[in-house]
Formats: sequence, C-alpha cells, structure tokens
Amino acid sequence: MSVKKIGVYICECGGNISDFVDTERLRIEIAKEKDVDSSMVNMFTCSDAGQQKVIEDIKEKHLDGIVVASCSPKLHLGTFRAMAKRAGLNEYQYTQVNLREQCSWAHTHDMQKATKKGLRLIRAGIAKTLNSKPLKKLRVKTLPHVLVIGAGMAGMRAALSLSDIGISVHVIEKEPEVGGMTKRWGKMFPRNKNGYELVEKLETELKKRDNIELLTNAELVEKDGHIGDFSVKIQVKKDHFFSLKVGCIIVSTGFETYTPTKGEFGYGLPGIVTLPEFEELLAQTDDGSKMISYNKKQIKSICYIYCVGSRQNKMMGESAHQYCSRYCCSATVNTSNQVHEIDQTINQFHLYRDIRTYGKYELLYTKSLEEGSLYFRYDEEYPPSVSFENNTCTVVVKDSLTGNQNIKMNCDLVVLVTGMIPRTNKQLANVLKIPIGQDGFFNEIHPKLRPVETVVDGVFIAGSCQGPKNLSESVASSMAAVAKSAALLLKGYVNLEPLVAEVDPNLCEWCGECLKACPYNAIQITEIENKKIAEVVPILCKGGGVCVPACPSQAISVKGYTNTQISSMIESLAKNVDIIDEETNEEKKTS
Amino acid sequence: MDYDVLIIGGGVGGMECALNLGDMGYRVLIVEKEASIGGKMILLSKVFPTLDCASCISTPKMGATVNHENITMKVYSEVTDIVSHDKGFKVNILKKPTFVDFAKCTGCSDCETACTVAIADEFNSDLIARRSAYIAFPQAVPKKAIIDKIGTSPCSYTCPAGVKPHGYISLIRAGKFDEAFHQHVEDAPLVGCLSRACYAPCEEECTRSGLDGSLSIKKMKRFLVDHYYEKYKEPEYGIPDNQNGKRIAIVGSGPAGLSAAYYLAKTGYAVTIFEEEEKPGGLLRWGIPSYRLPKDILDRDIKNITALGVTIQTNSKVTSFEKLKNDGFDAVFLAAGNKCGASMSIPGEKLKNVWDCVHFLKQINKGENIKLGEKVAVIGGGNAAIDVARTAKRLGAKDVQIIYRRSRNEMPANNEEIEEALEENIKIEFLTNATKILKDQDALGVHLVRMELSEEDSSGRRSVKPIESSTFVKSFDTVVIAVGLKTNASMFSNEIPVCQMGKTIKVDPETLQTETSFVFAGGDIVTGPNTITTAIGQAKRASYFIDKWLQGNDLTKTRYPKKLPMVEQDTIISQYENVITEKKPIITPKTEPSDRIKSFDEYEHTLSEEEAMTESNRCLDCAGCSECRECISACPADAISLDMLPKEETITVGSVAIATGLKIVDSKKKPALGYGRFPNVIDAVQMERILAPTRPYNGVIRPSDGKVPSDVAFVLCVGSRDKTVDNRLCSRVCCMYSLKQAQLLMGSLPLADVTIYYIDIRAFGKGYEEFYQQAKEMGIYFKKGKIARIEENDQQDCTVFYEDMEGDGGMKQAKHDLVVLSVGMIPETGAQSIFSDQSLQIDENNYVLELDEDLEPGKTSIEGVFAIGSATAVRDIPDTVIHSGAVASQVASFLKRTDRTS
Repeated sequence: MSVKKIGVYICECGGNISDFVDTERLRIEIAKEKDVDSSMVNMFTCSDAGQQKVIEDIKEKHLDGIVVASCSPKLHLGTFRAMAKRAGLNEYQYTQVNLREQCSWAHTHDMQKATKKGLRLIRAGIAKTLNSKPLKKLRVKTLPHVLVIGAGMAGMRAALSLSDIGISVHVIEKEPEVGGMTKRWGKMFPRNKNGYELVEKLETELKKRDNIELLTNAELVEKDGHIGDFSVKIQVKKDHFFSLKVGCIIVSTGFETYTPTKGEFGYGLPGIVTLPEFEELLAQTDDGSKMISYNKKQIKSICYIYCVGSRQNKMMGESAHQYCSRYCCSATVNTSNQVHEIDQTINQFHLYRDIRTYGKYELLYTKSLEEGSLYFRYDEEYPPSVSFENNTCTVVVKDSLTGNQNIKMNCDLVVLVTGMIPRTNKQLANVLKIPIGQDGFFNEIHPKLRPVETVVDGVFIAGSCQGPKNLSESVASSMAAVAKSAALLLKGYVNLEPLVAEVDPNLCEWCGECLKACPYNAIQITEIENKKIAEVVPILCKGGGVCVPACPSQAISVKGYTNTQISSMIESLAKNVDIIDEETNEEKKTS
Repeated sequence: MDYDVLIIGGGVGGMECALNLGDMGYRVLIVEKEASIGGKMILLSKVFPTLDCASCISTPKMGATVNHENITMKVYSEVTDIVSHDKGFKVNILKKPTFVDFAKCTGCSDCETACTVAIADEFNSDLIARRSAYIAFPQAVPKKAIIDKIGTSPCSYTCPAGVKPHGYISLIRAGKFDEAFHQHVEDAPLVGCLSRACYAPCEEECTRSGLDGSLSIKKMKRFLVDHYYEKYKEPEYGIPDNQNGKRIAIVGSGPAGLSAAYYLAKTGYAVTIFEEEEKPGGLLRWGIPSYRLPKDILDRDIKNITALGVTIQTNSKVTSFEKLKNDGFDAVFLAAGNKCGASMSIPGEKLKNVWDCVHFLKQINKGENIKLGEKVAVIGGGNAAIDVARTAKRLGAKDVQIIYRRSRNEMPANNEEIEEALEENIKIEFLTNATKILKDQDALGVHLVRMELSEEDSSGRRSVKPIESSTFVKSFDTVVIAVGLKTNASMFSNEIPVCQMGKTIKVDPETLQTETSFVFAGGDIVTGPNTITTAIGQAKRASYFIDKWLQGNDLTKTRYPKKLPMVEQDTIISQYENVITEKKPIITPKTEPSDRIKSFDEYEHTLSEEEAMTESNRCLDCAGCSECRECISACPADAISLDMLPKEETITVGSVAIATGLKIVDSKKKPALGYGRFPNVIDAVQMERILAPTRPYNGVIRPSDGKVPSDVAFVLCVGSRDKTVDNRLCSRVCCMYSLKQAQLLMGSLPLADVTIYYIDIRAFGKGYEEFYQQAKEMGIYFKKGKIARIEENDQQDCTVFYEDMEGDGGMKQAKHDLVVLSVGMIPETGAQSIFSDQSLQIDENNYVLELDEDLEPGKTSIEGVFAIGSATAVRDIPDTVIHSGAVASQVASFLKRTDRTS
C-alpha cells in the first residue's frame, strides 16, 4: 500500500524558519507537485493547535501520507508521528524534513537560495513518503527489575525508591563497601550532616528490603538484549560470574576528585592539602577541641585556593577541565564556616575567581563574610604562587580587587579547592556504550528534555557520573531516573522502532557478509526450502544499516530507508529548481 | 478518589511530573491558573547553554501533556482549599470564568480581531498591548480564546438600568458608532432620553474621577444619539420573527412601561401599552422641560419600541386587571407611576396661583399657558424645584426665587443644574422656609422664616429648625411648591395589595410579581419616586421574570442574572497613578444664559465625532472586557457568553504536588535604577521577549524611540543577593540568562557593544562555564562592579554609575543606549496557604520547606504533599526537570505505600 495523496506542512517555527526561507513561496511551489493534495504553512506546527490543524486537514482530505518541513527530527519526530497516528495515518508514512537546522539556520544571508534548497529538501521528503510502506512498532514485554550500577548515595537512594514503588533491584558496587565518596566525609554542606552517617542510614535500610539485592566487589562485564529485556553478566570478585535479566539499567558510578599534579600550587609540599583531605582532617577533629591541628601543629591561618583543577583554560589541551565543578565554592565556604565555629581565632583567606554559592548557598557566603573571612580575587592568567619555607606556607596572590597588587600571606595550611573529575571506567563505557561528553562525564540525550536518559534506550544515568553535583542534586537525579524506569516498567511493555533490516529470501545467497558487518549480533542463519539464507532478529537489530552495503546481492534493506526510498530522494534532490521568480529575488528580508 | 495526584501549576516542573506519573499509569490532574500550560519557560527566547529555542523544547512537553490519556488539565483555575479527606485530600477548585465555551472555541482569533479593548500583554511583559478577548500566545495549550474580564467596570456596575457605558465607550473609541448605539438600545431603548435627562451615576463612579476627572459619559452618549438619529430617522429593525403568540398588557408608558414593552416584545410577546394621557412618555414627556429633553428625541426613542410591533393605546385608563385577563392578556406589567407633588401641609397651598410642581410642569409641557406674573417663588431644593424655576424664567418671569430650608451643601439638586440656574439669574434663599401663604390683593404673601442647621448627629445628618422671631413676609405673583414627589397606588388596591399607606404596590422584591400572580409591577409605583434608570432597571427585571413565569418556571427557584463584582477603583488607580498623562474631561460650549432663557431649546452642544473619540480614549478599561459584545457577533462558533460566572468544584485526590514556580522581583524596588521611570531601562524578562521568536517588535529596538541599540548593558543581581529587597539569596539563573541574552544580542546586532556588570559570574552547571568562556570570546565586556544608580539624558540614553572594583577602582560612569536589569526570582507563594486543616511549613525565604532536602527531595511537612522544582528553591530548567522527576518517584512511592490509588 503505497502513498498516493500527500499533505505537506511547512513550519515557520515562529520566525526561526520564515525569517530566512520564504515559506509561503515554498508552499505555492510544493502545491504544484504531483501527488501533493494539500499544503499549508503554520506558525508553530508542533504546538497543540498547529497539530490540530494538520490532523483536521488529513482527515478532511483523506490523505494517506504526510511531510512536515520543520526542525530536526531529533526534536519532533516523535511529536509528529504521534500526530499522524491521531489523524489515523500510519506513523511511518510520515517524513520530517529538516528545514531549520539544515536550511534556514545554515543559510541566514540568502533567502532566495535558502528557499531553493528548502524546495529540494521537501521534494526529497515527498519522495520518501511516496515510497513508504505502513510499519508497525515492535512490542516487547518489560521485566519489572532494575540493575543499579554503583552503590554510592545516588545508587542506594535509587534502589530504595524503586523498591518503594514495587520494582525489584540488583545493586552492584565495584568496591568492597558501599557509600562512594560520601562515606569519607564528615559534615557536608549545607546542612552539616555527617557523610558516613547518611551512608549508614541508607545501607541499613537497603539491607532490610526483600526486593533489593546488594552485591559488592561486583562489576558489569556484558550486556545484551534491549530496552525492557536486557541480559547482563556480572562478575563478582575475580572469579565468580552470573547472569541476570533486567528491564533497565541505572548507572550511578559517581565521580573522582581532582588530584593536583606534584607542584601544582605547591601540592606535595607540607601544609598543602586538597579540600577532600582537609574535610577528612576536620572529620577527625573533635568538635569540642576548640582547635585544629595539622601534623601536630595548631593551625592559626588557612588559605584556600579555589578552582584547582576546574575552569581550566582550554589552551591547556584536550585534557583540560574546562568545566566548573559546581559544588566546591559552597562546600569550601561552608567548611570555612565550620573552621570558624571550632576556632574563631583562625584567620582565613580565600583566593577565588568567582564565588559560585548559587541559590540558597549564598547565605553560607554571607555568613563567611560576616565572620571575617577575607576574599581575594585572582585572574586565571595570574594564578597564586605557593611556597614552603621556614616551616610555613607562603602564598602570593595578584589581587584584582586592590588594583592588582601582589599580596603575600603566610599561613599554616593551604587548602587547594579541587573539583570533581569524571571517573574513568573504560570497561563499563564499552559494555554500555553510553556516549561521553566533552567534559568526560556521561552524556544525557538532552539536558532539559531528557536529563537522565541516554541514547541507549533503557540505560539511565544518575548522580555525578553525568556531571558535578552535590548530594541533594545527585539524589534528585537518581530519583528522576527511578521515575523514568518506573514509567517504562510499570506499563509492562515497550514499543520498539520497526525500522529494522529485512532480508529478501529470493535474492539472498547466504554469504555471511551481513553477519560479519552487524555489531549487534542481529543476523542469524536460517533455511527456507533447503536454501540457506540470512534472517534478521528484529528486537536485536538497531536499523543501523551497515549490513546493507555489505550484501553483494542487494538482498538486505532497512525498513523505512529502502533502496527505492533513498534513490527516489536522491533523484528529487537533484531535480532542477528553476521556479523561484523575481518576486523572491526582491528579497522580503534577509534577517 | 477522582485522581491519584493533583499537580498545582502547569509549568515545566508540573508537566514533567505529570508525564512521568501518567506514564506509570497514575491518573493526574493539573490545575493551572493561567490560560495555558507552559509556565515561564514557553515565554523565553532560547535556553542556555544549548541555545535551543525555548518554544521548540516546551511545545512537545505541552503537547504530550494535553494528549496524555492519564492526564487531565484544568486551566484558568485555582485551587482554593485542600483538606484531608478519607485517605487522601478533598480539593476545592475555582474555575475563573473564561466567557468562552472551550468545547466550541476553535482558536480562530476572530474575537481577538473584533475586540475593542486593549490591555497590556503580560505574556509580552507589557511591552505591547493585546486585546481583552485573546489567546494567551501562539503556542498556547489549549489554544482557546479567553475574555479578560476581572469584574464589572464601575460605570457599568453602577447603572441601575443595566446600561454598560464601558461597552459603548470602547465602541466609540473604535469608531463603531452605530454598533455603540445598538449596544445601548439592547440594554435600554430610551437612549435619547437618557442622553439628556439621566443624572449619570456612572460618571460619579468613574475611576478616572479619582485621577483627573470622570469621563463625560453622558456627553458621549448624546453624541451617539444625535449621530444615529440623524442617520436613521426610523429604527433599522422591525417586528421580530420569534413571536410566541402570548400577549402582555402594560399599564403606563413612562420609562418603565416603555422599556418593559421593548424587552418583552424582543423576546417574542405581543405587547400593548395602555396610557391614560393623550401621548406616551409619562414623566419624560410631562415632567422634564424641553430644554433638557426635547420632545422629538423622546418621540424618536419611542419608535425604538413601537418598531417591534408594540401598540400604545393612549387615552386608555385601565380599571381592572381581571378585565385585561379576560381580554386575552397572559400577563400584566403595572408601571403607572402616578406622581403628584408632595404637599407642605401649610396654610394657603390651595390658593389660586399656588401650584404643585408636577401639575405646573405638566401644564407647561402640554403647551397650556399659565399667567405667572413677574415674581415667582419656588419652594424646595431638588431637581424639580430647579426645573420649575428655570421653566418660569423661560416663561418670562423676571424675578424667580428658590426658597430652600437648608444650605447649598445639603441641596439635593444636581450641582451642574444649580450652577446653570444661578447663571440664569435665579436666586436662591438658603436656610429659609415658608410657613404660610396668604392672599395679598392680586399677589401672594409668603410668610418665611429663617432656619438654622444643628450639629451633625451620629449618622452625619444635620437637622434644621426655625430661628425664633425671624419671620418675614415676601410678596410673589406665583408660588410653586416643589418639595418632593409622591406616588399613589390606592386606585389598584381593590385588586392587589398596596403598601406604604397606599403609595406603592406590594411586590416580591426579587421577581416584582404581585400577589395576583399574572400582575407584575415596577418603576415608581413600586419604588416610590426614583430615577429614570431605576425605573428601567425595574422594567428589565420584571420582563425577565414575566418571561420566566409565562414559560412555566417556578419563580421561587429562578434568580435574576448577577453582574460580576465591581472592580475596585483604588486598585485601578494604583495601576495608573504616576503612569498616565493627565487629561481633563472635555468641556462642551453652552449657549449664553441670557440667550438660553429666551426659549425652551437645548442649550448644550453635542460633541463632534473627533471630540467623542478623544474623550472615549480617556477610558481606563477598568474591568478589562467592556461588554461591547463585538466578540459575540464575530464568533463563528457561538462560543462566547458574557454571563459566565466563577465555578467551584470539589474533587478528591490521593496526593498533591505543588509546582507553582517563581515570579520575578519587581525592579521598581530598586528606584535608583530607574525602572518604570526611564523607558530604556528594561528588565530581563522584557529582553527575553524582545529576543523570542514570537517577539513583539520583530527586531531588537529600544522602547523609547525604536532605535536599534548599539550599546547595551546588563546589570546583574537586581533584586538578588540584596537584603534591601528582602531577597538575600542568589537567584541562580540570572548570570546564565544574561550571558545567553548577551550572546543572542551579539548575533542579532553584530556591531553592538554589550557590557555585563556583575559581582560574580555564576556559571556552575553542565556546560555553563564553557558558555561563559564562549561569551568572553565573542567580545562581550565584563565589568565587576555593582551599579549605584542610573540616570537618563535628553536622548533618553542611560548613564550607569558603578563602582569599578577592578582596574583603577573608584566610582565611574558609562553611557549605554539600553540597560537590561537582570532581575532575580522569588517564589510564587499563592498556593502555600491553601491547606486549611494542616500546616505546610515554609522556610525563612518563603519557599516550601523540604524536610530532608538531601534524601527526600520534594517531601513537605504534610504527608502526601510534595513540592516540585522552584517551589522549594530557585532552580534552572534542567534542575527543575530533574527535581520534578524525583518528586514523581516520591509520589509513586507514597501512593504505593499508602494504597491511595483511584
């Protein structure tokens, strides 16, 4: 059943497209195309009202295929497929033409040419829809069971939440103990709760639950299957392996702290510590002691140097940590307030670039200023220098707030405020195939729309493996991943894309090339009427299409991207465009 | 349980939570106070740090929400109360009237085009205007029109006749004069009479009277009448098609009788008016002098009624209602005002040449001659006294004196008319009363006594008593007693009960039905002497109930349609004070007093078209919608009804999530920065709109002169980190949105200089620092320094005075074309106090308190109540979406644990 009556809907994207492409002109030209029964321009096709207009049009004109020329399908493919479905069409007889990213935004200074290109792109979309066939989603059952990787605060909290909702969980932790970074810390900002107490609280609760199984010294080594039904292989200690079937996976592998290289801000010299090291020192300091000692010497003055290992200049090369580590300003200011509480006579100097005590944490900063901490601002081009002589640390800072004077201060302790860095776990990254961002942390699909989802369906990221976060932010993101898992698993099934490869049994001569090419093991050998041919396992196939060119007899193709569709699109793109008349030449506007 | 969870607020946080829970299979209700879901995010230009178009990433969420099978949305609604109930909560929801039936509305915008009222467009941060009938914004979900009507405008609320001055004023403003006239006729057909003889209580209530003077509503109405009657000597309509075959008799053809005839005839009744006199009009014809109400205007007004097929039988006195019934009338409306002048009960009232005011004026209006002589005394201080005095003057009396027992302050007559009487050389003897009138040869000797006022009593009234031994006598040729009017209903007492010693008819005050069920009564015969508009109001009410009664409705259960409450003038004034340019009411020229007393012609001129339109432009559109009804005519789907009232409903839910989000700090709280005073100091929300794809100006221009700015400054931390505005917190998003706006500006104005004045640049989220570095590389200037104040020069450029914290230091100044204040955020607190039986704990900064922010995101002090995103602390969009997801799993855990699902 191929398509005969097509509707083409051109989106202005509220000016994003229509400011640079003559959408009305396009509509007029498209209306002349064979098989186009309806064409329309909308201000925001994706808006509810815009969709409603299209649906009415489809029904009224009894269309059987549509093209929407709007933004990238990355953004709205799902939106418009659902729209097509509501209009009674097969959602795969819809093609999205990317008129924005691939046309208007790319050609903002030549409306005439952009309009011409737009026409070619839409024609190709029409060709694709014309040669499309109705497809049905693959429905697979989901297993109400989740694998949580990493038993830090985020992972443990996610497990408890899943358990609350009624979903059983396996939590695996690489280390012999749970608790990740948090268990090392004493009072944590901003509420001064003890890290190890929080860990203990969750661990105790975790062990009470019947539907949570916790495994330490355990790592994920293999993953197979698909969203809703993954098979995972877990290695416990060195020699023990076992397999598990889970509906989805939450990755909460956390972060590492930056360790300065030897000599960086004097690191390695006595009296120079990182923030986590200082936190551990404070955790060991008795609350009632009224003094802080380091190497058995009472501390009288502390100098904090901020942004160590964060906000690095990209000129430093690819390994530079250009990002801000987010938690450190607030954590340091809070720590400094704790120091003041223990011993009010300690002088505290803060050498900072910007104080980023965002939101409510601003109050910590206000308190620190009120309590007498002194703040000096340095420019990244002139980092403070640190030396250790005569049993005391000397820090020199070029303070931009006092006319760039060099200010020299002696102190008993220098705290390097080190940030978070991504944890390197190549094996896990390889098994899960989660993309890694420029900053080295795992990447979400979209920071706003889908912040805990990854491009691997059914694999979610939570906590600071996605980027620096403080405790409450980590916990919130892990519970957001729980919500996504529950939404997926409580329904009991998931629909998968039917855009998978298929083999023409008449043409296939089984040579095994496709099997070799497929990265997902989705090809198997079968026999029809005594003839050996290739067969695709649809739920394993990702529709990647590497098998297609590998086949010497053109027996394999991907549904929704058939050879007929692709070649008709190429022909349409190449077709001459000579219809744009003088009217557009006059240029309504170019910007 | 009606729903598993109620989410208050349909912004990005509320939607995300709803979608998560809906996907899990829970039944979700979203209540949103605005006309569309989408919250603040949908109004943004692009979002940092990815520079995605905010619309493009909001609309899929909005679309998914509205189309989700498990999500129900109630927009333009507010949760007013939540109490614990059974295992969950009982929730009271107030649906604000939209005046549009969403089921019928297609979102076509025809009403918007037709609407005559312009209102500052809050969705464009007041940069431009929208109509009162409007669709919130192009991507609104649901895309339905709403009529912005926050109550009834004071003028329209006040009118006893139910006339809507705001409506016809806005139509005049739109140049739609005929439509304005039609609008008035539908409410009250005696437009001409009202344009002359109404005492315009609407003008007294006009909000503008508290600023620079009330609108000249009556003058505008007179313009309408004269304009229309000049053009249309006959009404444009005829007998209506909807005849229902029933007949109604109306007794009396005064304002009440004529108006009732109109309303009933329009409804489809065959109406006959019975009038005792030889001409219809009642007091309008006989009681009001022609210089105030020309008789041709009255006659033309009456055509508005007779054109509908109403028969007026003059010289017909009704003696029995029973007879009318036997003659085939289904109902009777008794509106025979039957007025006569009140007596003073002093000796001499019956003497020749002593008149009561009603008889006096009637005699004159009938064109009969009265020999007045030279000296005329008029006793009384009301409008009738003034009418008599001025009539006497026009009849040639040389010396006309009004004798009034109190002082000018207490005088009940219309002030303008007192002034005009004085101009016409009519004298007023204040604090004087007549005690007796004696015949003195050909003349009359009026015995007068001086009066004195007592101190104010507890009710503020001052009584009056004669001063001893102050009697004196004055001689007059004619004396007219005009101390008041009275009605007389005694002639009907054999058929229907009367009250007030036979002065008025006894009726049900709601329905105006008498005890004889087919007889209704209204006007002066029910109220006692009253204004024309009150009589018309009574006619309207009676017509409504006569119709209901004849349709067989139980009147004890029928209620007269209510107006929405009047909007408070003070609220409106506070919006306009210091903002509007003073503009005094229009003054119309009048004929000189010496000339006008020579005839009974009108002496005040009609406004010109231009004057009327200029005056109408002074209207402040107090209630928003003016009820001009243009939208009703324009709507192709018949979806609009201006009678809609707020609707309350009660539902039950298992849990509640508060997602009420943020509002911006009012930049006027920092007066030194000039926001609201200098047009080129705008706030960042306005800049956001200027840069948005659905932008108001189609380009970046500055408000004062439309110039494309070549030098723009951003001032960070306005209303944040600042205890002077009671917000010590950092608002978290301002640094980033300013960086974004600056980058977008560099894109659209490549040659412009952009400077950001900051304290710290807080670029802390994923990709944010990189975004900041990118801004630096693009050439945006960063100045560390707090702004002390902003001043404006003659070109309306802005000079920024700041402390240069780096570089040379000290106070510096810099000039910019446009300054953007990067305003901070504070919580929207409206929903915090709706829990009536439990206490929702709030933190010291007015956010909803999370009991355990570290481990239990969103959990509040009330079991089963959660808070999403910025309800608990200011958050950017990614953090809101994450927090919202966390709350979704909290809600799911809670519902599972407590087994509260529906």
